[in-house]
Amino acid sequence: MSQPDKQRILYRETHSSRAVVATLVAVLVVVLCAYGLLESAVHAIGQPAWLIEPQRAAERIVALPSGISPLLLGALGAVLAMIGLFFLLNAVLPGRRARHVLNGQGADWSSPAVVVDDEVIASALARRARLAANVTPEQVMVVVSRRQIVVNVRPTSGVPVDEAAVLEAVQFELGEMALVPVPEVRVNLSSAGVIGA
Amino acid sequence: MGILGIKLFVVGLFLVLLATVPAVASWWQSWSADAWQGVNQAFNNTRFPGRPESWLWIVLVLVTLLLIGLMVAWVAQQGKGRTNLLVSDDDAGDVAGDVRIGGGVAEQALKHALAERPDLAGATVATYAVNGSPALKIRLLPRQGVAPHLLAAEVASLVEALNAVVGKPTPVLIHIGAGARTRFGRAERVR
Repeated sequence: MSQPDKQRILYRETHSSRAVVATLVAVLVVVLCAYGLLESAVHAIGQPAWLIEPQRAAERIVALPSGISPLLLGALGAVLAMIGLFFLLNAVLPGRRARHVLNGQGADWSSPAVVVDDEVIASALARRARLAANVTPEQVMVVVSRRQIVVNVRPTSGVPVDEAAVLEAVQFELGEMALVPVPEVRVNLSSAGVIGA
Repeated sequence: MGILGIKLFVVGLFLVLLATVPAVASWWQSWSADAWQGVNQAFNNTRFPGRPESWLWIVLVLVTLLLIGLMVAWVAQQGKGRTNLLVSDDDAGDVAGDVRIGGGVAEQALKHALAERPDLAGATVATYAVNGSPALKIRLLPRQGVAPHLLAAEVASLVEALNAVVGKPTPVLIHIGAGARTRFGRAERVR
């Protein structure tokens, strides 16, 4: 009984678990196997087959392109290929969730492992940007992605907004958070202002 | 899942090719006729003495049953991991016996400490058994605008206090999340 690996726990928290799709695959395999068993059992005891007999199915597969209309075959093949591609990509692609890891922690468990949703980061940074730009919350929109943060500010018409001040405030807050992986910040001041905030 | 995906993809692609390209069709017909002969031979060679069936069917049935059993067992063990035990130690002191502290202690204590905070819209604590040893997972739902690193630092100090009380340091995972409650609740004003 040893303590769990911190990196592995953080990985499991920041990547999507494939449990749902994998369960679907398992159920699919069970259904196919059960159908094959049913046909074999029915054939073995000599009763008429339920959907199609294994012998006839094999013979039809062997004589394949002739026994079935090519359009149907092509469509069936395309559907199977799509499903196969979906499962393949699901298994191979990393599946990262919209989360960041708060750093400043060691590699052992003396400090807790912290994982933050991007939405929480965005609302905290939006508050900082709003205070620095002196506008209302509806005039600031922050988009947080894995490596980039975009701060969109719509100034009140007639009142200029100090872009450098907003950038500095957001970068200071980001520095305090110490996220992993570190995102870059960009501030966009919209040219159309809000009337009379 | 990836293996099944590759197989399905290849089979699907092959069917599309079969339907469209006639050269593939003629190749498949000649190859599969031979393959079918081979399979029939295998079935013929493994017959029971004096009976028309072969024992290859029985092997197939057993393999299929095994596959079904494995799949069902795998599906049944999804979603486990919660535990009730936080710390278990046998204290080599004067009185014989061992000490067990239930997971409810940590859960209730932390939930109580986090209950009155104005900057949280919700908090959940759960105990899991990871690699055989217990670990805590704290899920916090802060209101809009709350700085996550300050919240994490405060909860970390709460966890340290808990570790001092319980006596053994437990690994803790803090997940600061967002949900419907955070989006549609009131925003945190003063901090």
